[in-house]
Amino acid sequence: MKKFLLFVSKILLVMLLSAIVLDAIYTAVYLKSSKRNKIEYVFNSHRKNFDVVFLGSSRTQNHMMAKLFIDKGITAYNFGMSGSKLDETALLLKLMLERKYKIKNIILDVDVNLNSNAHSDGVTAMYMPYLQASTTIQNHYKTIPEYNKLRYIPFYRYLANDAKIGFREVFFSFAGKKSNALENFGYFPLKGVGKNMSYDLSDYSPKRNFAYEEIKTICKKNNIHLIAISTPMCSACDSNAYFNSIKAVYPEVYNYENKVTDDKYFSSCGHMNVEGATLFTTIVVNDFIQNKFKN
Amino acid sequence: MFFNSFQFAFFLPIVLLLYWTAGSNSKANQNYILILASYYFYSCWDYRFLFLLIFSTLLSYFSAIKIESSTTTWARKFWLWLCVTVNIGFLGIFKYYNFFATSFSELLNSVGLHSSPLLLKIILPVGISFYTFHGLSYSIDIYFKRIKAERNIIDYSLFVSYFPLLVAGPIERATHLLPQLKVHRKFDYEKAKEGICQIIWGLVKKVVIADTCSMYANAVFDHYNSMNSLSLILGSIYFAFQIYGDFSGYSDIALGTSKLFGIDLLKNFDFPYFSRDIAEFWRKWHISLSSWFRDYVYIPLGGSKGSKLFQIRNVFVIFLLSGFWHGANWTFIVWGFINALYFIPLLIVNKNRNNIADFKISFNFTSLKIVVNIVATFAITCFAWIFFRAKTIHDALAYIKRMVTDLHFTPQYFNFERYSYELLFMLLLFVMVEWNNRYKIEPLSGKYSWIKVIMSIMAILALGVFTDYKNFIYFQF
Repeated sequence: MKKFLLFVSKILLVMLLSAIVLDAIYTAVYLKSSKRNKIEYVFNSHRKNFDVVFLGSSRTQNHMMAKLFIDKGITAYNFGMSGSKLDETALLLKLMLERKYKIKNIILDVDVNLNSNAHSDGVTAMYMPYLQASTTIQNHYKTIPEYNKLRYIPFYRYLANDAKIGFREVFFSFAGKKSNALENFGYFPLKGVGKNMSYDLSDYSPKRNFAYEEIKTICKKNNIHLIAISTPMCSACDSNAYFNSIKAVYPEVYNYENKVTDDKYFSSCGHMNVEGATLFTTIVVNDFIQNKFKN
Repeated sequence: MFFNSFQFAFFLPIVLLLYWTAGSNSKANQNYILILASYYFYSCWDYRFLFLLIFSTLLSYFSAIKIESSTTTWARKFWLWLCVTVNIGFLGIFKYYNFFATSFSELLNSVGLHSSPLLLKIILPVGISFYTFHGLSYSIDIYFKRIKAERNIIDYSLFVSYFPLLVAGPIERATHLLPQLKVHRKFDYEKAKEGICQIIWGLVKKVVIADTCSMYANAVFDHYNSMNSLSLILGSIYFAFQIYGDFSGYSDIALGTSKLFGIDLLKNFDFPYFSRDIAEFWRKWHISLSSWFRDYVYIPLGGSKGSKLFQIRNVFVIFLLSGFWHGANWTFIVWGFINALYFIPLLIVNKNRNNIADFKISFNFTSLKIVVNIVATFAITCFAWIFFRAKTIHDALAYIKRMVTDLHFTPQYFNFERYSYELLFMLLLFVMVEWNNRYKIEPLSGKYSWIKVIMSIMAILALGVFTDYKNFIYFQF
């Protein structure tokens, strides 16, 4: 029996050591990677200056063509992330400031994300490699139920998020394979026109959002001009009631929902294609230049 | 509580500790601990079904005693049929009632008689197909006087409810398991070590092979309408590895866990994908179920005796029953039917027992023929799996039609951000490991054991799928 207990102890030790070694390898790879997603791009950068930064979900990532701003002599970058809720957006902003970014204006797409205070597991996963290395990320996630496991059990954060930061992703990061998330100054173009498009907003109602409030506070504290906007939906989406009620909760949100209406500009109901994004960004850039966004 | 859960990782050491300390002085104590652990294990799914398990156990226990003690043939038959009918009745109600009601209603509707079936809103008790088969085989064995009826109710209950095999087999025989439960087990280091290695290898099969394959197979089967021929072919191969890794992985964990308690369970898989024909495949796939149907259905029906027509009928019966055992869906019945169609040509030309002896591969024509036969057997098995995996017969036929008519063979990019071919390298590696260890129980023991154990643990941690958790497929049967 003693022999068996020794054997089992050795197996457990092997498991623990394997977890420690794998954790160290994965973390080392992610700490050096900056070509795969916007979080690692921000984490592994320092002291960048922007006139305009776009933040939000895929509706930012697919709608805001930073290049059209740059063409007008405005330094800009689209940091919108597919699937991101305002909670992860707030953390990205905090991470930028931790990395000494100087930002003059933030254009933040808030619209459908004001429906709840939810967070995104998929985007949260992409912050996890930096949990040990960044106090900003630690402080942000300190209150989540799994925090201690994620922070202190070796390799647990990679096991719990293997689809996003597991072996495949670490292998691509190690190999230096670029992802298309960082092309076009962060804007991701969608092609084609959607068929049978629909998006049901009837159950949606805007609520006070803790992450948005936090973003507002951070911007105020760091003297950043925050421009909160809502962006277009396809014609099949009966969105007026929802977008109008955003005004009741947050009057400062600029409603761009009806600026692009033709369905030929949509790849899916909530996402415009390249033509739609070009049209929409042109409107926003003109408004920006004409100083229509009051302080 | 699943074998690959954290809950089980706490449960097993506690039971082991109690078993080899408090229970180590007598067989009775060991069995008491195991039966309590087994009932706790089962109640973790749904405590209400524990009563069903206990009722089924008591039914076969008392029926067996009655069969043995009855002096008239009529009485013996009565108790046997009572046990068989009630056990099959449980299966019928919980597993098949809704299927029969729906099918009957559809039949009536098809001839113009409109009806809506009265369906039961019940969930299938975990492991019911396995523990009812334990009870059935036991009472049939008593009836045919192959064994003596067990009088110790704890020992018998443990035979039916032993937790490593309770929810997905292997389907044990009283002649094999009961004698082991009747003696005091002494700790055997080599057996326990082998058990640990088997558990680790079972986990590799489950979380690395099966669960990864399931992501790809689901991506193909759930969206087969937009897949090309290459993706559809790969989808069926991925499902073949998913179901093998899942079920044989489960069986390895069950057998390995049982070895820690000093109890050997029946081998359930013997590298079936290295079979040279379909008959050999069925001697190596889910062995405990195949042999159950052979011993309790095929042979009583006449087996391979009598005319060829008679034998063909028997083959159809056991394959259709085997398909139906898996679930109340026409897809499983068609899967069984297709396997019968594969088997019958071998039976007609008397070649169904040709490939029994082991084989070796070298650079000659005979070896080439063996490899071709193995690949061909695997290919037709994959084809049959399409029906097993598809939700409906219509889906399976549409899948096959698209596979043979689309004729585009470019790798496709799936929604979950993987290419259709990406998994092949890992599967090739897995096949090589299995091939090189096909005469062993598991590949980890022996030479360089520690290196293999470390690599397996690394593979589980680094390559395992943990977020998209998949239950063991056979738990639903």
